Amino acid sequence: MKELVCAFRPWIFLLTRRRRVFLIGAALALTTIVAGLALLGLSGWFITACAFAGIALAAGLPSTLDIYVPGGGIRFFALLRTVARYVERLYNHNAVLTLLADLRFKVFGYLTHLDPATLSRRRAGDWLTRLTADIDILDNFYLRLLMPPLVALLAIGLLSLFIALWLPGLAVIVGISLGALWAVLTLGFAWLGFRQSYQQVRDQSALRNRVLDQIQASAELESYQTRRWHQTHIEALEARAGANQRRLAAKSALGNALILLVTGVLLIGALWLVSQAALVGDITSPVAIMLLLVVLGAGELFTALPSAFIKLGASYASVQRLNQLTPKAVSDEQLCAVFPEGAPGVSVTLNDAGYTYPAMLAPALSGISLEVPAGARVAITGVSGAGKSTLAHLILGRLAPSSGSVMVGVQAPYALSNDERANGFAFLSQQVDLFDATLADNLRLANESADDEALWQALERVALADWVRREPQGLQTPVGEKGRKLSGGQARRVALARLFLRNPSVVLLDEPFAGVDSDTARHLAASLDQWLEGRTAIYFVHQIDDVSLLPGLTYSHSLRHGQLDLSSV
Amino acid sequence: MRPAPHPPATLTPRQWLKQLAQVEKKRLLGAAVCGVLAGASTTGLLVGLAWLVDQILVHARPLSELSGVFLILLALVGLRAALQWGQEALAFEASLRIRQRVRVSLLDKLATLGPQWLTHHQSGALATQLVEHVDALEGYFARFHPQLRIVLILPLLIAAVVGTLDYVVVIFLLLSAPLIPLFMALVGMGAERMNREQFSAVSRLSAHFVDRVRGMSTLQLFGRTAKARRDVWYATDEYRRLSMKTLRLAFLSSAVLEFFASVAIAVVAMYVGFGLLGYLDFGPASSLSLFSGLAVLLLAPEFFQPLRTLSQHYHDRATALGAAESLVFILNEPDWIVHEHSSPEHYQALCELKGVSIGYPQRGAILSHVDLTIARGDILALTGASGSGKSSLLALLAGFMAPQKGVRSRRSGQIAWLDQSPCLIQGSLAENLRLANPEASEGMLHQALARAGLGELLASLPYGLETPLGERGVGLSGGQAQRLALARVYLSDAPLVLLDEPTSNLDAATEALVIEALNAWARDGRTLVIATHHPQVLTIATRHLHCEGGRVLEVTP
Repeated sequence: MKELVCAFRPWIFLLTRRRRVFLIGAALALTTIVAGLALLGLSGWFITACAFAGIALAAGLPSTLDIYVPGGGIRFFALLRTVARYVERLYNHNAVLTLLADLRFKVFGYLTHLDPATLSRRRAGDWLTRLTADIDILDNFYLRLLMPPLVALLAIGLLSLFIALWLPGLAVIVGISLGALWAVLTLGFAWLGFRQSYQQVRDQSALRNRVLDQIQASAELESYQTRRWHQTHIEALEARAGANQRRLAAKSALGNALILLVTGVLLIGALWLVSQAALVGDITSPVAIMLLLVVLGAGELFTALPSAFIKLGASYASVQRLNQLTPKAVSDEQLCAVFPEGAPGVSVTLNDAGYTYPAMLAPALSGISLEVPAGARVAITGVSGAGKSTLAHLILGRLAPSSGSVMVGVQAPYALSNDERANGFAFLSQQVDLFDATLADNLRLANESADDEALWQALERVALADWVRREPQGLQTPVGEKGRKLSGGQARRVALARLFLRNPSVVLLDEPFAGVDSDTARHLAASLDQWLEGRTAIYFVHQIDDVSLLPGLTYSHSLRHGQLDLSSV
Repeated sequence: MRPAPHPPATLTPRQWLKQLAQVEKKRLLGAAVCGVLAGASTTGLLVGLAWLVDQILVHARPLSELSGVFLILLALVGLRAALQWGQEALAFEASLRIRQRVRVSLLDKLATLGPQWLTHHQSGALATQLVEHVDALEGYFARFHPQLRIVLILPLLIAAVVGTLDYVVVIFLLLSAPLIPLFMALVGMGAERMNREQFSAVSRLSAHFVDRVRGMSTLQLFGRTAKARRDVWYATDEYRRLSMKTLRLAFLSSAVLEFFASVAIAVVAMYVGFGLLGYLDFGPASSLSLFSGLAVLLLAPEFFQPLRTLSQHYHDRATALGAAESLVFILNEPDWIVHEHSSPEHYQALCELKGVSIGYPQRGAILSHVDLTIARGDILALTGASGSGKSSLLALLAGFMAPQKGVRSRRSGQIAWLDQSPCLIQGSLAENLRLANPEASEGMLHQALARAGLGELLASLPYGLETPLGERGVGLSGGQAQRLALARVYLSDAPLVLLDEPTSNLDAATEALVIEALNAWARDGRTLVIATHHPQVLTIATRHLHCEGGRVLEVTP
């Protein structure tokens, strides 16, 4: 229970930050309900009064009944109910959707602060579930879990007070039984459906990941003819999820049946009580009918509650996951270190630096000491898994060393803000990220203000200009998701072309010549040689096949099992 | 599980939903019957209530005499609750079964579209379609569909009861009733179009997001996270704008009904009141009693209640239609994987291409007039500049796409596939290996890993074969992922192995392993087709094909 409150607290705070909007919304909802009850009660009073006046008139007895005031009241409440309902729904939904945009913005902001160690652990599919579904469910909180129970409780109070004007005994019975029903439908149903609705969120996320696998591994699954095998995993998962949903739906249906049962029994009990009161003359017959009809209308207060509260577990699952994203590291605003000025380039110094990934036993890197003078070019060789990427991230300051120190010029790169880091460094990573947009958009990611001329020049440097010229859409050629419409070698060259559009002091290149033929490699090497003039460069390669591809190299290190050996060129 | 009905060539979303409802028609009908009976119990309860009031207050009968009627009403209350539960439970079951069927049929459809089609579509958006959009069908079958039938019966039933009490009121109700569907149709048409737009917005939003998150590192490195974040806000705000448009109209339809239900109470109250006072001397007004007056007053809103409920569920329909549209789009795509029935004529041939053209719908032919026979034991190297069609030829040989022209004949059976970026599925190392051979024993897995040079890695993993792996080889380096793909090939007995640039982007040790594996497979008598530039691989090859200028040429040494 305490965990529940803790998990929800920051978000409820956020939801109720716009207190005025919330109160106006609640007031509108209450108005709608009160107008409906008043319409029904007043109509009942009116026709009963008319009936008795009619009977008296027929019997020749004098009878006066003002028909204009109640008539006007009936028309007023009829109109009020309609208008209030429409305005209330629009108002509250707009409030909720505004909140939604803010929530998504906030959560994406969390994501931008995560380091590479965290980013590589989570699946893209998982992120998606987070940003859309989780926030949608949280959004639900406002309109389904926060407002309706509050409005229902207020309405129960008003209803009981109104009845108490005539029959305090009935008021107590109505207050207690509707109050108890309210408690069962909110707290009781939250408890009843908690585990299953919590599970439902997890099931959907698991299902999505499996389906994503089935799509992304389709080449393997199709050729090895194991698609059916993989699909049985999906079907088993779905069967389990279905059984869970079924139990949840049965409970939710129980809630609606319970509302009908309790309000029905209450209505019949109220009929008994008001009849008795009318017979002994405590209240007039029109008042008796008015009270009866007000009780009859009370059923509407509850209709939205069971289906909302039965899903509290789903909200909890979402909130839990969103809470995990909260940045624990220092935020960008606190990082005010400036990338050191310097030409040619800036020196890079590592002193006994090491790094251990979270939840890993062995360090990925240990005892790394390295001195790259400003403007020098060095190579770090090592096989896959030797720790080259980790070393690159340490130099970039995207990971903080677990031991020792990393310095770029006189600055620890970890203290740099994202913007400063982006300005000072350029990094060609092993895994190339192209976005589902045009070639030009992907290039301009590196430099928003680059004109077409500059883009062509960059493409020329990576020997892609001829190919792009042949494409019918030229620079506007879409590259597809993950750059899939390009070959692996082309995608890497586009990523390299992006670097040429920037003006960094320190350049890190992970396998710049992978996936290209030797002619192209020589072309790239020449372009790099020219561009790297006045910059500090570190090449990360598996091995140095051809030293002519790395002109100006002063020395190289080889990285083996997370440790560095010096070897000369 | 039986698949959902197979769609004809072009299926519309409405037709499809109708077909799906047909599959579960018994449960959906049962739900509607429960709903109508629950409404009938409500009617009985209200009429009984009015009768009791009349008997007690006007005719002054003692309560004790009427206790039997009170009990009957209590029984009706219980019955109504039970029927309501039955309606919801039955309709949910129908909706659940339909959704499961739909998902199976979509997965089957994606299988016939194949890997080559999938590379041209966003996998995040497709996953959304298969998970969220299929679930978006829930409300339509669980709520809207049964209610649509209840609306046709229940108001008439209530009108009939009201008619026996006072025919003027029933005339008023029946006159106002046709206006409602008219209004709702007008409002609904707008809402539907809006909803379609909203649905594609949600889909675009998720694709946009997956793309940005995948490249988060790159965005950080280029200092573009702030802009991407703003983009996310704009995308979401666009979604809000579209949603509000839909809601403004959707709420209008419920406001129309709210209005009619309110006005009905007001008008009936006035009519009954004046009738009881004796001010009205037409029709049945003079014979009104408190019983009939109160009964018609209580039944008037009930007459509109089924429609009000329907309008509350109207967005379920709109949502389902939006989802159906995106799903039907997939179902209507022509199949890319065509299973030919002809095997090559020569018994030694694994695959034959005669006058084949390879291409994509919007781009025309990439390779044409390809004549090629691949015999058992061939080791075929495929060279050519990037974009020359090597990968497409491999996809054609794998059966991932059909020739645009010409005839392809293949021996059926497993093929081993290995490309530059081997796909890791979420699951254990063992599951990732069994993808090539689900029946493989643990011993076989160990052996395959050892042969692929992953024995050392396996020994260092804390949970051995049960160690979970992540997406896109994260957790494993590129070289390790490629070795895993080699292990997969070792595990399968496929006679034909297709390899797309197997040595690119690898360290020397892994590269050596790949070459060793190629030699081993050649010795085993497997047939290899390798798209490659690697000189050492070329020396292993017994045949060499070169793709250039839209043709495939055999290079003779």
